[in-house]
Amino acid sequence: MRLNICIGGRAGQGINLVSGIVSGILTKHGYYTFNYRDYPSIIRGGHNFNILSISDEKIESHESRIDGLVAMDDLTIEIHKRELKKSGFIIPSDKYVEFGINLNIALAGALMKILGINKLILDEEIKNSVRKNPEESLKAADFGFDSVEKKFTLPKLNNRLQILSGSDGVIQGAINSKLDVYIGYPMTPATPVLTGLASTQEKYGHLVFQPEGEIAVANMALAASFAGARTIIGTSSGGFDLMTEALSLQGQSEIPLVAYLAQRSGPATGLPTYTMQGDLDIALRAGHGEFPRIVIAPGTPVEAIEKTNEAFYLSEKFRVLSIILSDKHLAESEFSLTETPKKPLEVKITRPVPGEKILKATSYEHDEFGNSTESAELTTRNGLARLRKYSEIKKACEKFEMIKLHGNLKSKNLIVAWGSTAGAIKDAIKNLDVKFLQVIYIKPISDQIKSEIKKSNKVLLIEQNLTGQLGRLIREKTGISIKQKVLKFDGRPFTSDTLREQIKKEFKLK
Amino acid sequence: MTEVSKTEINKKLNTDYKITWCPGCPNFRILESAKVVLSNLMKQGYKQENFAMACGIGCHGKIFDYLNISGFYGLHGRTIPTAIGLKLGNPNLNVIAFAGDGDTYSEGVEHFVSAGKHNANVALFVHDNQSFSLTTGQPTPTSEKGFKNKIDYSGAKLTNPINPLMLALSSGITFIARANARDVQGTAKIMEAAIKHKGFAFVEIIQDCIVFNIPINNRDKDMYYLKKIPATKDETIKLMQEYDYNINDGKIALGIFWKEERLTLEDQFPQLQNMIKNKIIGWKNLKR
Ligand SMILES: Cc1ncc(C[n+]2csc(CCOP(=O)(O)OP(=O)(O)O)c2C)c(N)n1
Ligand code: SF4
Repeated sequence: MRLNICIGGRAGQGINLVSGIVSGILTKHGYYTFNYRDYPSIIRGGHNFNILSISDEKIESHESRIDGLVAMDDLTIEIHKRELKKSGFIIPSDKYVEFGINLNIALAGALMKILGINKLILDEEIKNSVRKNPEESLKAADFGFDSVEKKFTLPKLNNRLQILSGSDGVIQGAINSKLDVYIGYPMTPATPVLTGLASTQEKYGHLVFQPEGEIAVANMALAASFAGARTIIGTSSGGFDLMTEALSLQGQSEIPLVAYLAQRSGPATGLPTYTMQGDLDIALRAGHGEFPRIVIAPGTPVEAIEKTNEAFYLSEKFRVLSIILSDKHLAESEFSLTETPKKPLEVKITRPVPGEKILKATSYEHDEFGNSTESAELTTRNGLARLRKYSEIKKACEKFEMIKLHGNLKSKNLIVAWGSTAGAIKDAIKNLDVKFLQVIYIKPISDQIKSEIKKSNKVLLIEQNLTGQLGRLIREKTGISIKQKVLKFDGRPFTSDTLREQIKKEFKLK
Repeated sequence: MTEVSKTEINKKLNTDYKITWCPGCPNFRILESAKVVLSNLMKQGYKQENFAMACGIGCHGKIFDYLNISGFYGLHGRTIPTAIGLKLGNPNLNVIAFAGDGDTYSEGVEHFVSAGKHNANVALFVHDNQSFSLTTGQPTPTSEKGFKNKIDYSGAKLTNPINPLMLALSSGITFIARANARDVQGTAKIMEAAIKHKGFAFVEIIQDCIVFNIPINNRDKDMYYLKKIPATKDETIKLMQEYDYNINDGKIALGIFWKEERLTLEDQFPQLQNMIKNKIIGWKNLKR
């Protein structure tokens, strides 16, 4: 069983509350949900919508064809009517306008009735999620509930689930790593990690600071880390550009640093609130000079928890830059948490810090005491040391899950992809003769990629960008050029039903 | 003005690094002033290993190699965020920053105008030679009108320099002073007050570059020390405007122009207070 409900309206009308209430109830009811959020860069007005996908099996994506349309305004119906299945339902807003700001709650009530959820459960959820005037909200919910007929029956299931976004995953991973300092400057879609960590400062005792810009963020962070703080910075694409100089400084000064990069659609301001995997190249190479780094791209919130922890661990152990590469689709979509994340690794600072003794960190080439040098010999020695360090890092990373294999593991049809596309791909290939290789560590990259490609007859690259950046990297590392590609670069994530058809076509499957 | 230091310099502050400033460059005096202050403070109980400096890139930044305290020799323009970062990593460090005028008023001006708002407990010393010197003499925002250089092909910079003290005041910086690099003791005294100031302290040090901006050099005869901190903002502004960084223009007051107490950046974080109160050496040594 799988349902996709589109909840749409103007910015500020509170569609997130509707999907929040509904997915909250369904989660407790044992159903898997996936909530995709689509919104323009507008604070009031415009057209926002969520696609809430519901299933009795694990899902990590939404679909293009919808079973129900919850419309807070007429525009929503106009835009999304086309996507509605023949049997689909519409809950228009006309009947409920009298509830004013509680319009969204009334619609949530109606939707719950259609889905066959008990009214008591609805009331309970509203009491939990509405702080201001819950009585008014309850009235609206009840009215909504009574205004429609039940259409589905969703029996209670025994799954114990929790809702988590990719941003929540990074936050949890950082907290599990006992972060001390987060420095960031607001930029969609990285902002939820900034605000999320800010709001938990008191509870966990870490510190969040927003300075005057990303250049300050990155330089400040290196100094804080040098002084002994487990430090993470966060930004999105354009902000990452500005941090570039400090990434290079990390390479020279060898101060541990974790950077969270949530990609959005570029170039430049691009589509500020839409998704893209356009920044793999800069994650791999940004910063002048040659120095080691780690780039990890989780594909789910649980992976975000685990990989953020690994990023902290590796950064501190090797005094290296670790980049956690995410995007709008992973950062802001809400998943059902199905697995328990692995036990976090302890991130321990064993290096001396200023205050304990006299210590120098520097942007110049330097001797072992941090004194500046222009010596050819030392420059050569330091360069070789950086190379050596990278091979040690690679060895250490091999202990972690650098790739994952999904689907039919015996299949000769191989999909290669990374990051947030994983969810839609996993859902799209259910019961197909397809194996999916999810690349999680992109630098260093796993040797297994080559052997998996060699084992397969057909290989398909799927990326959310214009040029297939992972494909280029694989060619560079293995000499193998993946010819078959499905690339999408319109800012909208893959939907699993559409993608399934594309995959079937590419592999000529029935 | 006195040129010989009265305070004996603590030898532990010296390094054996070869100094590469031009012979006669007043940067030597700033280094001496810094050593005088640090020696003084160490006599008063400050620990040598508890000092940390942030340095910019330029002639001024070389002080990093000549001073035996911890530090971060960061990037051009980023001296201020580097200094603030040190404080966020360990609020108990006594953080001082050595920056250039190019560093502070050109490449890093966004950090300078934000420093007053953050008000981290850091002392910033700007070696203002009114020129990008390490890159061989291009104009900075404080270069005097008419500065002959290799970039402005009319042969002269035609715009007026900015007044860094006025910029600091309007940015809400809580301690603003000016010093003369040639006067080691006078500068040391101001530096000490800056380090002891609770909040962001800014000391603009007039430092002649004897190679690239000679016309603006040797203004000692126009300089005088303020007897006390001006009582009103109006008076502060009047004194700041006496000198507009052009040649032959006005008296040059030295000393503290402005001082106010405001909550510091570190004070604003409850999670730092235990570390501060119990003198814990940064997050690394904090049990939580
Ligand atoms: C990002 C960047 N841009 C330019 C430079 C080149 N550069 C090195 S020193 C310097 C000027 C320094 O001028 P100032 O801060 O006034 O220091 P001074 O040499 O005069 O002491 C410049 C532009 C650099 N190192 N980094
Ligand atoms: S170039 Fe100017 S500032 Fe630099 S060392 Fe020489 S005299 Fe000093």
